[in-house]
Amino acid sequence: MRRVAVVGAGMTQFKEHFDKGIKELIPEAVAEMEASVDKGFERSQIEAAWFGELTTSDGFPSGILADTLGLLDIPVTRVENACATGNDAVRNATFAVASGAYDVVLVVGADKVRESSARSTFWEWGALTRDMAWDFPLGLVAPANFALHAARYLHESPATREHMAKVAVKNHRHALTNPKAQMRFEITVDQVLNAPTVVAPFGLYDCTPQSDGAAALLVVSEDVVDRYTDKPVWVRGVGLGMDRVMHQHKSDLTTFPPTVRAAKAAYSMAGIEASDIDVAEVHDCFTAVELISYEDLGFVERFGAADFVDKDETTFEGSLPVNLSGGLKAKGHPPGATGVSQCVELFEQLRGDAHNQLDDPRYGLAHNIGGPTAVAAVTVLSSIKA
Amino acid sequence: MTAIVSIGTYLPTWGTAQGRVPGPDEDAVTLAVDAGRMALTDVDASTVRRVVFVSRDLPLFEGGNGAPLLAGLGLGEDIEIVEQIGGAPAVLDAITGAADGTLVVAADLAPAGAAAAMVGAEGTQITGLGRVVRSLPIQTRGRDGLVRNYQDPRLESVVGHASAVERLALADKPDVVAGTSVKGAAAFVDGKPPVLPVTGASSAIFALAALTELGTGGTVLALEQASASAAHVADAPVVHRDEVPFQDPLRLTETPGPDIAISLAAYERAFESKVRWDAGACDACGTLALPPRARCLSCGSESGWSYAPLPRSGEVYSGVTIHVPVPGLPTPYSLAIVSLDGVDVRALVKVTGVAAGTTEIGDRGTMVLRRVAVRSGVPDYSYALRPDAALEGGTR
Repeated sequence: MRRVAVVGAGMTQFKEHFDKGIKELIPEAVAEMEASVDKGFERSQIEAAWFGELTTSDGFPSGILADTLGLLDIPVTRVENACATGNDAVRNATFAVASGAYDVVLVVGADKVRESSARSTFWEWGALTRDMAWDFPLGLVAPANFALHAARYLHESPATREHMAKVAVKNHRHALTNPKAQMRFEITVDQVLNAPTVVAPFGLYDCTPQSDGAAALLVVSEDVVDRYTDKPVWVRGVGLGMDRVMHQHKSDLTTFPPTVRAAKAAYSMAGIEASDIDVAEVHDCFTAVELISYEDLGFVERFGAADFVDKDETTFEGSLPVNLSGGLKAKGHPPGATGVSQCVELFEQLRGDAHNQLDDPRYGLAHNIGGPTAVAAVTVLSSIKA
Repeated sequence: MTAIVSIGTYLPTWGTAQGRVPGPDEDAVTLAVDAGRMALTDVDASTVRRVVFVSRDLPLFEGGNGAPLLAGLGLGEDIEIVEQIGGAPAVLDAITGAADGTLVVAADLAPAGAAAAMVGAEGTQITGLGRVVRSLPIQTRGRDGLVRNYQDPRLESVVGHASAVERLALADKPDVVAGTSVKGAAAFVDGKPPVLPVTGASSAIFALAALTELGTGGTVLALEQASASAAHVADAPVVHRDEVPFQDPLRLTETPGPDIAISLAAYERAFESKVRWDAGACDACGTLALPPRARCLSCGSESGWSYAPLPRSGEVYSGVTIHVPVPGLPTPYSLAIVSLDGVDVRALVKVTGVAAGTTEIGDRGTMVLRRVAVRSGVPDYSYALRPDAALEGGTR
């Protein structure tokens, strides 16, 4: 397989874009991506596109992407894989380029969560993820989906609600300098602990906001990379992992096996180990999910997340900064865009252009877990080709 | 001769000294199932050949209450079922006129309660003493569901109850009176009448059950507006009660919103398992799956499965409480993953009978049929965890 690189990355702000539909957000993200390509490029050079969108606002997604970007002469494939949609779109595009089928492809992720009323969103999203006869009528809303894991995790591990709160405080602080973030304000542990309960054990500040947004990447083969930049970011590993869908069939709720499987595949493809990762964007739709994911991604041993957080290892100053963008928690979470935007953040970090720039990071990891916690995607990016 | 084999009763956890109220997940069908299962405690279910379900609060007038009632009671779909609108006199008549093998179940929503009587050859003899059916519509409820009340208790007492009892011309004074308040009952009995928790259809069976407190047989009088019915019972019947001390009614938030969607095709496929509490047992290796599934979770066989009853007790593996308003579901509510006793099966269910947020990992409880949601007009029944703490009850 050929080596594959990201040579352009851009995204819209993540926020409640009441003034823009999906047809406005997609061109905005792609235009910013185009502007980021060092040596410039023509849109007509794109040979194929992958579009990650979880919901279908304003209709047929692939067609909307082709139509709004004027890409009527190339194939466009819509990717939908719950909250792992964005990184799975990256994965599909990567393999298409690695195979030799295409040299230049576009990856876009977008979602318009705030397109339907807050009231109808509950059941619309429920229908996307639940068994219609068994789980749907129980009112297993999205936070409850993850809270079932968090409750058991808090029961078995040394982690407490304070450790969850520290994740929220950290990610809010990281978002302060991110112009694309939805929630650019600091919060305290006390504020998190005393916020109104959404789904116990999650309070308001343990939860991601509802966001609209889009993000785009230009993915090219090693054969043409020099045409676009002298500072490519290499897609070193991609992985996707699955699990049983219904919670009652998951034997251990303190871990997300899809993440373990996706990470194993991505590390193996990259030829690295978890300890090689310098910076990570980890799925923190709810604070406890970030804690559990530290363990599933191999950053710490099982039930080691609480201690890792107590030692501030994942802050900007720590040994493995996590969610320097603010994460889903503070940057925002338009599901289809989320994974792609994680790669936008890592693209900037690995090229030395980020708002929260670290000192020469070499390996970055992006991670999503979604659906009824039954799918995860991991992407490993690096400034090093091999 | 007609005999009562056993009686079962059920009262919802919630209420005040004035009476019980149904939980947000209870309706006449779930109340009837709870009472019916108590009546069948020591009864061979294969002896039940007919079910008569009497209530003035039937959940559906069209669409059917019979199938979930039979499934919840663990009775076959070939059992004859009568859905009857009626009050206390109708229930007493249904029992005295029943053939052997009839389970008479009655349920009420205000005050809430349910009771069931199994009629068979062996048991306490019951004999009808007569009835009068007259019209004095003090309270009415028609097709629009609106309750209209004439607001004249004295008229009901004199022209309704007293006149009806006079026409019955009972040889002896009744020992227990159903269908009216304690004060109303006191007019017809010697001394203090037993207090019944309900006044509707099920009060007739609660009245029969009250004879066990008196320790003897006796005469039971059932009233409803201007109608009455009476029966004589030879001895105190066998009674199984599920009546926990009441707790203050839950204060819940109702959030309006669009109808909760339903797929009736999916509803129908899941019904047997969901409402009977049956797993699918792999035909190849016997592994249980809930819900039943094409491919075995253990051996991977896809050659078929058969229904197998699930245990009705278990322990909480994980649980959460939803506080955020959810359109169409009263909040807060708790969900739990329950590890069922003695099998390798977990169930994701709602928690019932306790305040939301009071159930913890490791708590034990039993599985009971509840109305999990009303989806586009369809009551959706499934099992909920009733923690053992619910049996303690009693805030006062």
